[in-house]
This record gives sequence, C-alpha cells and structure tokens, in this order.
Amino acid sequence: MTKRPLEGVRVADFSWFGAGPIAGNILSFYGAEVVRVESMAKLDGLRAGQPAALNPDGSFKTGYNVSGYFNNFNAGKLSMQLNLNTEKGQEIGYRLIEKSDMFLTNFTPRVIEKWNLDYEKLATVNPRIIAAYAPMQGMWGPHKDFLGFGAVLTPVVGISEMSGHPHQPPIGVGTNYPDYVINPTHTVTAMLAALRYRNRTGKGQCIELAQVESVVSVLGTAVADYLMTGHQQTRTGNRHPNMAPHGAFRCADDETSIGSTDRWVALGVRELWPALCDVLRHPEAATDPRFVTFEARKANEDALEALVGEWTRAWRAEDLMEALQARGIPAGVVQNPQDILDKDPHVAQRGYYQYLDHPETGRAAYDGGAALLEKTPGAFAAPAPLLGEHTFEVCDRILGLTADEIADLMAEEILI
Amino acid sequence: MTGKALEGLRIIEFCDEIGSYGGKLLADLGAEVIKVEPAGGRLQRKTPPFYRDPGNPDTSIAFWVHNTSKKSVTIDLDSEEGQRLARALALTADAVLEDYPPGYLSARGLGYEALSTLKPSLVYTSMTGFGQTGPHSRYAYIDMVGQAMGGIMTLAGDPDDPPHTIYGNQANISASLNGAIGTLLGVLHAEATGEGQSVDVSAQDAVSMSMETAMMTWDMQKRNRTRTGARGMIPVSIPAFGVYKATDGYCILYVTAPAGADFPALVDWMREKGMEGDLDEEPYRTISSELNMRFLTQVMADPSSVETIAPQLKHINDLVEAFCATLSARELYEEGQRRLLLVGICSTPKDLAENTQLRAREWYQALAMEFLDTTLEFPGPPYRLSESPAAISRPPRLGEHNGEVLAGLGAGEQGGIR
Repeated sequence: MTKRPLEGVRVADFSWFGAGPIAGNILSFYGAEVVRVESMAKLDGLRAGQPAALNPDGSFKTGYNVSGYFNNFNAGKLSMQLNLNTEKGQEIGYRLIEKSDMFLTNFTPRVIEKWNLDYEKLATVNPRIIAAYAPMQGMWGPHKDFLGFGAVLTPVVGISEMSGHPHQPPIGVGTNYPDYVINPTHTVTAMLAALRYRNRTGKGQCIELAQVESVVSVLGTAVADYLMTGHQQTRTGNRHPNMAPHGAFRCADDETSIGSTDRWVALGVRELWPALCDVLRHPEAATDPRFVTFEARKANEDALEALVGEWTRAWRAEDLMEALQARGIPAGVVQNPQDILDKDPHVAQRGYYQYLDHPETGRAAYDGGAALLEKTPGAFAAPAPLLGEHTFEVCDRILGLTADEIADLMAEEILI
Repeated sequence: MTGKALEGLRIIEFCDEIGSYGGKLLADLGAEVIKVEPAGGRLQRKTPPFYRDPGNPDTSIAFWVHNTSKKSVTIDLDSEEGQRLARALALTADAVLEDYPPGYLSARGLGYEALSTLKPSLVYTSMTGFGQTGPHSRYAYIDMVGQAMGGIMTLAGDPDDPPHTIYGNQANISASLNGAIGTLLGVLHAEATGEGQSVDVSAQDAVSMSMETAMMTWDMQKRNRTRTGARGMIPVSIPAFGVYKATDGYCILYVTAPAGADFPALVDWMREKGMEGDLDEEPYRTISSELNMRFLTQVMADPSSVETIAPQLKHINDLVEAFCATLSARELYEEGQRRLLLVGICSTPKDLAENTQLRAREWYQALAMEFLDTTLEFPGPPYRLSESPAAISRPPRLGEHNGEVLAGLGAGEQGGIR
C-alpha cells in the first residue's frame, strides 16, 4: 500500500450509529489510525442491525460482528471496549484523547455531559486536540436535548417537504439521508481544515456541527428563496426549472432484477428535445406545437411526461440509456444495488467498492472514499473490527498500560 | 485571537453546478477562491429562483448560496488570450477545482498534466458526474442522472409512483463535499512534501454511500431494497408511527422507536386535550400500554403476529390522527419533544426560516448586498470552529474582481470580459 495522506494522525472515535462513525470511516480510509471506542454498557445499535451476513443455509448469522450496516461504517478502525459510565473508564478515555490528534463524537449533549467529555475538559487533557462534536441539534440552544435520529432529522430539515411527488404527503426519501454523506463529509471537511490550522499555529480547537445546520446548508436555495423573497417552494417530483422533460420514465420490466423488476431511466433535456424524439422514434413530436419550445413543454408538462413514458415502456432500460447517451442526452438507469455492485462496468472499473475478508461475515463489499487521490490514494487497511478486537492492543501499544494494569481494568469491568 | 483555517491558500475554481458548493466550503473557511466564468456565466448563474430580476446573472439565489465568499473573474476560455490568462492565473494557485466534462479543460491547455508540469505542487480536483476514467466517464450528466446511477432514487418514493430525486441536487452536493475533502487532503500533503496531485471525484460514487443499508443488503443477502413510500421499513401500520397531518402542515411520529417516552405519554397529552377517546378502556388500554420497542421488534420479526389486533391498532391510530389534526405542526413538534415523545416537524422553508433552534443560535447571516441596496439573510456555514471559524461573505457579481485579479497577470486593457 502506498503512503496514505493521513498516516500519522490518530483519531479517538467516540461516536455511534451513522453520522459520527462514517466521519471516522473516511479518516480511516485516508490513512488515519482510528480507535473506535465502544461498550456493552451502551452498545451501538447498528452492531445488532440488518443486514446480517448469512449462513450457508440462508439463515442470519448472529452476534455483534456480522452486521453490514455497522461494518460498512467502521472499516479499518481499531475497536476498544471502554465503559464510560465509570470514572475509571473516563480516565482511560482521557489517556486515549491525550495520545490522539482528533476526537470525534455524535452523542447528545446530555451524554457528553454525563461522560465528562466536554471540550473544556478535553483541552486540559490535550490542548492540541481537534475535537469534533456532531449532535443532531448542536451542543447548545433551546432544542439541544430534542430527541431524534436520521429518520427524524430528514423531515425536520425540510428534505421531506421538498422531495417527492406533490400528490403525496411529505413521506421522505426512503432512507435517513443526512446521516450518510452530508453530515459525515461536512464533519471531515471541518476536521481537515482544523488540522491545517494546527499545522500552522500549533493550536487545537473545538468543532461543533449541529446536524440541523449542516443539512439545511445543502438545501440553501429553497430556504434562501423564502428568506429573501418570501416565496415557499415545495416538492415537485422530478421536475426541474431548466429542463423539460426531466424525470424518471418506465422501461420494460426485467425479471432478472431481483425483487425490483420495474425498470426506469432518468433523463432530462432542454435543447436536445429533437434528439430525444429521434431516439424514441417519434421525430414528429419535435415539431408538435405543444412541445416545440422549452416554454411550451413546460406549459404542457403532464401531457409531455405521459407521452415520453409511453414511448420508453418498450425499451430495455440499459439500451435506452446507451442510445440516449450516444446522442449526448443525459440519461441513466435508476440503478438498484444489484445493478451497481454486479452489473455496472463503470463502477467496477473505478473500484469504488473495496472487498475485504472479514473473519465472521466472510468477504464483503465496503463503500470506499469517493475522492481518488492520484499519488496518495486511500484504502482500508482492514475490514471492520470485531467488538473489542483491539482493546488489549490499544491499552498496551497506544496507552502504554502494563499487562497487570490491563488485567485489573478487565477484572473491574472497565474494559467491557 | 482567531484566524482562518485556510488562510494563505489560493484556489482557482472552474466550477458550475457540480463543484460550486465545494469551492464555497473552502472559501468560507478562509481560502481565496477565484471563480473563473465565461461571459454571462455558466448554468448556475441562469438558474431560478432569482431575487427580483429574473435572468440577471448577478441575482440568482441558486448561484448565491453555492458561491459565498468567492471572487469572480470572467475569461473566455475559447480564445488563445483567455487560455493564456487562465493558465497564468491557475499557476498562481495552490489548488484548482473544476467540474467541466472530462477533456474540456485539457483541450484548452488547462488540464492537470499541462498545469502540474509547470507547477508540480498543484492540487487539481475534478468533480464530474462519472469521474475522469472508466467506460462512462464521457457520459452526459445532470444531477438526476447521478442520483439514478448512484442508487438513491431506487429507494425514494411510493411503489405506485416513479422513483424520485432528493431535493437540492444531492449528487452534485455529494461530489462537492468529497471534492472539498480530497482537495484538503491534497493540500495537506502538498504543504508537507511539495508534491501535488490530481483528485478525481465521480458524483455517482460520491452519492452511493447514501443508499443506507441497500448496498450491503444486496452484497450479504442478495436482496434489493426498493422504494416503500410512507410505509418505510415497517411491514404493517402502527399507531403514532409515520407522517401525521397537523392543522397547518405535517409531523412525523416515531413514538414506538427506541428513544424517548412510550405511547402512554402520548395518551396523557391527548387526555389533557380531552381527545383520548376510549383509550382508557379495554382492550385499548392494554394495547396502548404495550406499544413500545418490544412491540415494534415483534412486528418487524413477524408482521402476522399482530394481525388479530389490526382493527384495534387502526382505531388507536385514528384517534392519534384526530388528535394531531387539532394542533399546529410546530406545537406538535415542540410540545411533543418537551414531553420526550419522538416527533419531528416536516419543515417547510418558512418553518426553517423561523426555526426556534436556528434562530436562537443566530445561524442565518445577514449580508449587505450593496449593489442591490439591501441586506439579505443567507444560510450560515455548516459547522462552527472555535479558533478558525468559517464565515460567509457576499457572493461575487459576475466578473466583479476582473480588475483586482487579472491586472497583475498582464491582462491589460483587455482583461476580463463581461
């Protein structure tokens, strides 16, 4: 493995579930040594989550090490078990923070207070620490203790109101969307910027990422539109202000697409309307007065979409995508996971997914880093750790505890 | 005494809709980001909504929010003189950000190879739909195609509707975010070693992590997760679980989820408003008291186990619906949360503008738009750094910094086009 860009940086990862651990995952991919602190006293629910790897007979594997949900967000990390509900556990935690460059958490302010992990305390332990706190509503303010997780955050930040078809209530987008890219990548951006600042000044600092602020930041247009003009945008399905048609259109069903046989192609045009008509073998539509200009198509969008949807229905989705792309029309199959992992030749060639051999799940796919650095590329050094797999190693190599001290901590149930 | 995290860093940005947000993040953190634009600007400058003056490239709100804190110069990249100027400008930079289709800038002498030969420490970040290499790298791209090919559309929507996108050009945003990370990693390495490099981001890759468990579900269990609409991952309808209509909007309730108070706390609230109906009578009293995480786990494991009480569950849910319909969305959210019930408001833009928490934290930033003779509020930065805070300043007018930036490059009287 070539040298990765964050080698030599150590991260004390006191996070759980999605948004926090994925930030640590990105840092791990790019070479940081990430110590994920976990405990049976407050187990990360994803360790017990689905999908679980399967036994040869098709039944679910059991235990805390077989969840793809957890594993995919924790690759290459060291797992240390530490009970932070105890004072002694907190002291060990401080030792880790003292030996680390970065600290990361997405626990609520209430838990941070209970575990005495506030920044003032951390800065006395290690003034150079870059400490990132990423709870849902931030560390302060009247809603700081509001309950929630990604499924609650999605509506609260406006994603549900702004996404989807207008005839439906705001039912959301099918996932806890903000957890997976938006919040972790914002967190890492701030941590890397703080690392550069520390390189230049020697100073650590506190980063606070209120997830509500982080997500509203990427929905800025709709919010700014209201702030600046009073205009309220709402969901418009797949329609777009600059293009018509712009949407997902149904193609021929595909029985080989497991559990997901309906096939769709997403496409959008403005100037390329005549080319679209050509490919769909209806050149006469290009001069139809209802559709001849962009403005006319916008005015007749229902009819336009119905017609295009009728014309795409006989096409195999992949064939239609290729025929449209050959004419320079932006078009893509609405791919399901099977398409992306097993069929998409482009994804395979670029190697975004990294396949790693895990002692309990067997070989499994992991999301990699999406920034391909030519000379210092990232890669996971190992699969996700088993729960507590590195407890002894971290205590010994990083914290410098003696074997006797470690044995005592084990006996006192601090390292659980 | 605070400073800027990215002070002293100069970035030349050739970005439109895909990469603008990445440049904005770096600019807000203190880098000098100079945006190179063609006459009239690229698509984002022409994208609605506009502030007052439709079509004016200086007043697109969509452009503004993705381009705070930057400078703008206009250069014609199709002219030899423009290419010379852009090259000279790029060579003054620590990093270049670009999102043109692959090959566009190299055809104009502004590709990674040409620039890095002249300046080996340069970090050169490309953010495109499908990246610089691979069989689809030349595919035509728009954000929706990224969301389709990246897998998040297949999970969004009701099974009876077409799959839909997530608002806000999220494939572009994901590419921008990973572009910002890649650029910072490249800069840290270049500052340590003097070695620059290219950074290649594909929006399709970047958005894929947002498939949640879907990728691993295929990988481990050979099942495709599909769009399930309002039902989500729950196989049957459960009281106080899902989207509920309030007087003026919607809220989402997850009262049986493993956080916060269980269903009886909601019944207490309904009783205070005289809306508990017959929930204090059997069999509803017993069923209500058992609507908790254990119940939810049982439903997930074996939906048929609750079939016998389906009518009772529906009756309880009807009462919850009737109760929610008497409250404003904001009251349902804030008072529900005060009672430790897991409730989220389905915020509209107006709700976000008035959000108690965001306002108390003074997140929105008023910027003087002196060329419009007004002050306007912008969304603030996504994070707060105690020593080197991010701060937003007014987005640039098209070519606003031509004089300041290009004069030193020998652009002379011809410098900049409008």
